[in-house]
Amino acid sequence: MTTTALVHVVVSGLATGSIYALVAISLVIIYNATRTLNFAQGEMLMISTFVGWSAHAALRLPLPLVLVVAVAAAAGLGWLVERLIIRHAIAATHFDVLIITLGLSLVLRAAAGLVWTHDEFPFPSFFGGRPVVLGPVRVAPVSLGIIGGSLGLMLALAALFRWTRLGRAMRAVAQNQRAARLMGVSVERVYSASWVLAAVVGAIAGVLIAPVIFLSSKMGLVAINGFTAAVLGGFGSLPGAVVGGMLLGVLENLAPLWLPAGIKHSVPFLLMIAILVLRPSGMLGRVRQRKV
Amino acid sequence: MRTLLTTVLALLAVLGVSPVDAQTPGVTDVEILLGGSNSFSGPLAFTGEQMTKFGVDLYFRVVNDGGGIHGRKVRTIYYDDGYKPQEAVANTRKLVEQDRVFALIVPQGSPPVVATLGYVETQRVPMLFPYQSSPVTRGKKYVFQGMTVSDRSSRMMVDHLAGQRKHKRFAAIYQDDEYGKSFLTAFEKDLGRHGLALLAAESVKRGVTDVSAQIAKLQAAKPEVLFLVLVPGPAAQALKERQKIGWKDVLMVSTGPLTDERYLALAGDAAEGVEGLSLWPDPVTSDLPGVKRYREHMAKYFPKNEPNRYSIAGYFAGILFTAAAQRAGRTLTRDSLIASLEGLKGFDSGILPPLTMAPDHETQKQGFWVRVEKGRFTQVTDWLKSE
Amino acid sequence: MRRAALGAGSALLLLWPFLVPRYFVFLTSLVVVNAIVAIGLNLLSGYTNQLSFGHAGFFAVGAYVAAVLTLRAPGVPVVATLVLAGLATALVGLALGIPCLRLEGLYLAMATLAFGFVVVEAIQNLDWLTRGNDGVAVPTAHLGPLALASDAAKYYLVLGVGALMVAAAVNITRTRTGRALLAIRESEIAAQASGVHLAAYRTLAFAVSAFYTGVAGGLFAFVVGFISPDAFDVFLSVDFVAMIIIGGLGSIPGSVVGAAVITLLYDWLAAFQNYRPLLFGLILIGCMLFMPGGIASRMPKWTQQAQ
Repeated sequence: MTTTALVHVVVSGLATGSIYALVAISLVIIYNATRTLNFAQGEMLMISTFVGWSAHAALRLPLPLVLVVAVAAAAGLGWLVERLIIRHAIAATHFDVLIITLGLSLVLRAAAGLVWTHDEFPFPSFFGGRPVVLGPVRVAPVSLGIIGGSLGLMLALAALFRWTRLGRAMRAVAQNQRAARLMGVSVERVYSASWVLAAVVGAIAGVLIAPVIFLSSKMGLVAINGFTAAVLGGFGSLPGAVVGGMLLGVLENLAPLWLPAGIKHSVPFLLMIAILVLRPSGMLGRVRQRKV
Repeated sequence: MRTLLTTVLALLAVLGVSPVDAQTPGVTDVEILLGGSNSFSGPLAFTGEQMTKFGVDLYFRVVNDGGGIHGRKVRTIYYDDGYKPQEAVANTRKLVEQDRVFALIVPQGSPPVVATLGYVETQRVPMLFPYQSSPVTRGKKYVFQGMTVSDRSSRMMVDHLAGQRKHKRFAAIYQDDEYGKSFLTAFEKDLGRHGLALLAAESVKRGVTDVSAQIAKLQAAKPEVLFLVLVPGPAAQALKERQKIGWKDVLMVSTGPLTDERYLALAGDAAEGVEGLSLWPDPVTSDLPGVKRYREHMAKYFPKNEPNRYSIAGYFAGILFTAAAQRAGRTLTRDSLIASLEGLKGFDSGILPPLTMAPDHETQKQGFWVRVEKGRFTQVTDWLKSE
Repeated sequence: MRRAALGAGSALLLLWPFLVPRYFVFLTSLVVVNAIVAIGLNLLSGYTNQLSFGHAGFFAVGAYVAAVLTLRAPGVPVVATLVLAGLATALVGLALGIPCLRLEGLYLAMATLAFGFVVVEAIQNLDWLTRGNDGVAVPTAHLGPLALASDAAKYYLVLGVGALMVAAAVNITRTRTGRALLAIRESEIAAQASGVHLAAYRTLAFAVSAFYTGVAGGLFAFVVGFISPDAFDVFLSVDFVAMIIIGGLGSIPGSVVGAAVITLLYDWLAAFQNYRPLLFGLILIGCMLFMPGGIASRMPKWTQQAQ
């Protein structure tokens, strides 16, 4: 294995890792607000990307506008799901909400199949696929583009959480819901905003990754890797989600290089079990262990 | 308490009546009933829907509008198994025991098909043209294989590349399941006949997001030929990955089940120069009379559905069933259908080369070589031999 | 009322193969198999609040142990095979459960989810033992001189084992152990304060739950007659979770009803082809929105076990 090839494999892993990170972030945003897991995150990402693609196919929209359409669709979908379904189950247990989002993921995937068929479609990319030579290494612009785009989005999110009123409210709710309510934060607004924001992050991830893994009703399955990434980083921690995603992407690519065939596909899951057992709060999560 | 007893009694009354085996199941004076368990959800949902509703049913609509088979119309029922073996078993039993279908048609995928083989043999229900490529269906009296079996595909591919074109260095990237593994075994055997072996083989999981590591490892083995034993998505990813790293001195070759326009569309210009074994004539451009009729029928009944290799496979299954049922005559039984299918000799569908079913129960035994030029498959050889 | 209902129900179950077509006998066997899993999962989730998304993994272990054992040692009676399948799975359950003791809720769900994937990978890669992706055609089970080949024979096997498992579960919930588990369900802190050794009981619940699921996996192998790694994907684990949540957490009758509902829904919805997941998903959402306590919360009083 040459160094050039190794660098390429790592960069490629960082690119898919950025997508896992974005999905993990969107899961964590909802988790922090409502303490529930959104199993339909991947399918919401898929639907928004499909809507953007349909706009592209029907109106010949340029790619930046496709992204806008996808984001708008995601925002609408996130808002609707929260308002029409999740809010009615607010008294239910976490398990119930889990099943609801699970049902939702089935519904959305089946609906996508009925509207767009279960076929796979090529998706236009902002970035080219042919390699560029950077000194001693070659990298694909599409990988760099995905990494750059994701990092930009992460910075924007960090700014939003740090400096805006909404971001502060969301952090307050994540820390202590009752205290936040007493301080005058509208928890319901934060719920809504979290679902919308998570869906939007998902849609951007979808538009970035669709040229690589193609657009199809099953592309939402990428969310499983998002779960793993979020756990690796420590569920609830946004920086953890980023690190977990990147780490997962790179490891997933390095494992087939050196490990025997029998074990290489299990690496992400063995890693997840190991992290949970040794350090349940993840790499960057706050330690919240139980005593037994 | 009384309501409970009444309920129980009512249940007994409803369910206690067992059906009487008077005649051949699924055949009445006016109708032949066929059924199949297939994927309408899960990884093969697209293939399943195209093959059944836009393939088999397309041909039966033509047949029914033309008066049916000896005056009987053909009706079909399909159940979704989502590629799960246990659901395929449940569906198949429901079709045979409850719906009492005459025969099973185009079930899809190795795990679901294999799970039901034992049952259909003991029940003596014809299983017509299962769409999967592993050789497990061989030697079964009631099973007529649909897709070209992997060992035949492999023999045609290896004989062409190692025999005729004298390539020496081979490697493979394969899907980590029954489909991938059955091809891998066959490649090793056939390369062995030529005194060669696979230099490297890398597996890919279904639903993979990145194949860069596998391609990097394969490149390091320096093969002249790389077999792609994948499904459209990952295969197109592999082609794009090769473009990304600028790997030029290798011939990418797709297996029969993969050689398909969809994967060309996904790969875009990364597919240029790729070769492969084609099991079907090009459904969109071929001038063969059967393919032209297929396109006309598709345009008439399903104008919005694009012609593709899955629907033509189902359409072909419809042609074969109809031909055999016609030959079997007005008194159609499961055994007379089997006899009639086995008796097909030099049958010309206008789509595939003339077909003789005996003695192997295989409906597709040949393919031809293609190369991708300007985004379409161009035929390079005539039908290759797989015997 | 309760006794009469039980009597009528038992009579109906015993006579069932003579009353209905074979297919329904087969379907009922599947319902019972799933009910055993649901009870096992409910002992874990409903009583000690540990949600698992990896029960398809336990189910697979049980199924493969039973299948491979029957292939390699055809003389072993089916009861012993099933017990061994259950014990082997319980061991696997302990191996997973002990390190995961500190995990709760979501974290445990994630660890078990990963476990499910690892089991499927292991089955695919241990070709020499499991035949990998080719799958295993499961030979007929034998009970002494009897070959359990027909649907009815398999049904009676499943029903017998199922009845034992239900009775055992009901009894567990009534013993000291059961009261301890119930105490944990109501409040872990209060339970600990009353001297319940939390770690011990949570581990026990894990092992018992895995045992139930392993036995059910063994029965599944015999009933379906063929197993392959594709049978045990994460969606199967999800189905098991759906069974206990729809049926009712912490309720044994609820587990049985939930298993029946999900199994029959699958059968019924298969005919809707590509509308099937859509309808299934809508039904799940509807159940949760309009019946958050599960079906058990709406069942008549006399069906509830004495607590």
